[in-house]
Amino acid sequence: MRVDRLLAPLSGLVVLAALLLGLEWAVEAGLIRRALMPAPSTIALRLWDLLASGDAMAPMMQTLRLVFTGFAIGSAIGIAAGLAMGWWPSVFRLLEPLVELVRPIPKSALVPPLMLFLGIGFAMKVTSVALVVTFPVLVNTLQGVRGVDRVMLDAARTHGWPARHTLLHLVLPAALPLVLAGMRISLGLAMVLAVLSEMLAGEGGLGFLILDMQRSFRVRDMYAWLVILAVLGLALNWLFILAERRALHWQRR
Amino acid sequence: MRFLELDEVTKEYPTRGGPPARVMDRVSLSVQEGEFLAVLGPSGCGKSTLLQMAAGLLPPTSGAVRIAGRPVNAPPPEAVYVFQQYSRSLLPWRSVRDNVAFATEHRLGRRRAREAADEPLKLVGLEGFGDHFPWQLSGGMQQRVAIARALAAEPAMLLMDEPFSAVDALTRLDLQSLVLDIWSRRRLTVMLVTHDVEEAIQLADRIIVLTNRPTTVAEEIAVALPRPRDPIATREHPRFLELRHHLLERLLARHAG
Repeated sequence: MRVDRLLAPLSGLVVLAALLLGLEWAVEAGLIRRALMPAPSTIALRLWDLLASGDAMAPMMQTLRLVFTGFAIGSAIGIAAGLAMGWWPSVFRLLEPLVELVRPIPKSALVPPLMLFLGIGFAMKVTSVALVVTFPVLVNTLQGVRGVDRVMLDAARTHGWPARHTLLHLVLPAALPLVLAGMRISLGLAMVLAVLSEMLAGEGGLGFLILDMQRSFRVRDMYAWLVILAVLGLALNWLFILAERRALHWQRR
Repeated sequence: MRFLELDEVTKEYPTRGGPPARVMDRVSLSVQEGEFLAVLGPSGCGKSTLLQMAAGLLPPTSGAVRIAGRPVNAPPPEAVYVFQQYSRSLLPWRSVRDNVAFATEHRLGRRRAREAADEPLKLVGLEGFGDHFPWQLSGGMQQRVAIARALAAEPAMLLMDEPFSAVDALTRLDLQSLVLDIWSRRRLTVMLVTHDVEEAIQLADRIIVLTNRPTTVAEEIAVALPRPRDPIATREHPRFLELRHHLLERLLARHAG
């Protein structure tokens, strides 16, 4: 029982290690062509080169900057619109048809038209990331605002809280768990759109590099960048969960 | 002097298709300045609706509510509502002190409101619990926080909605004594709604008994028990027993019929 519990977190890693060893063996045995998939050990060496030489830094920062900026803008718009729509019925009536129309469009499909208007620079990429981030945050914020307990709102009223104070110090914190859940979904989507728009409008960044390496048959580099991207995504998600726990520290564990 | 007045207050709710449902029919009552009034009625008789209209939280369909001579259209600064469900009226993400600061922070700013929270917390016996979160406290202590919050606003009047119905019997006696003590020390005016006959007699100067829906005033009784009221001795007083007999008979008879 105790051994089980100690080993439980490791069992997932065992599967990963087995997969890597299997791949290594399959490549060495000639079951997988090296042109499609080099041995994991050689990818690891290339990865080490990229990191040790510092060459990985600039593309990583470029993609991170895109994800962060788009995520911040999209979250801000989503929270503001969600709060306003949840609080004022007139704003809801005004914006709801627009939101319902744009929300179901896969935002990746909007990258080509955005390129027409904004070109292939940072502005287009940030816009596409912000766009995909906005909707899950907006919908969750709206739900959160509507779910605020009537009794709590009456408590603010009986103490004479002005509407603005109530919105900022009661409605927003009460909706925060749902807002953050929406932001966590959006963070993953932000990575997707960042990589995609970098691929479609290449100017550097991890998405651009992965596609570029594939096209120039530098498969080993392609996989190395892919690993960097995966680890980056993992780290971002992990950081967000830490921040979320901190913000919601008051919740009963 | 009449502090709170309800004048022929009627409440109707729209129903689908049919005529509006009348839940309260021309209820008139008043609370004198400094008086402790209990409004007694069976569960679901619209006591909370009545209190919410008195608090300016719910508009009456017709009739007038006046507090300190002025008509009530929005929650007046003189009266604060104390909710039955403390677990829903306190903010779970705020510490006890910040929950009490809730009462004044929009006027004083957060820092001064937090300083002003110490005195009401002491008054309800919660000094030293300022940094706790509501979920770390028992139900009775959470309701003390809610009472401290109401007191922090320094209202002339408390409107109490079955404030002790969600705690155990011993805690209830404890909280009743606390409220009586604060009421007399601060010379507050209190209107308390309850379905608990003994609670009404123990606390109030006067009891108003309500009927089932549509709610009207069935009876008005002066309690006429000496003060200060000891939680044990008062309950053995002949007048207490007489009133309890009369009120229980009245409430039970109505249920049977």
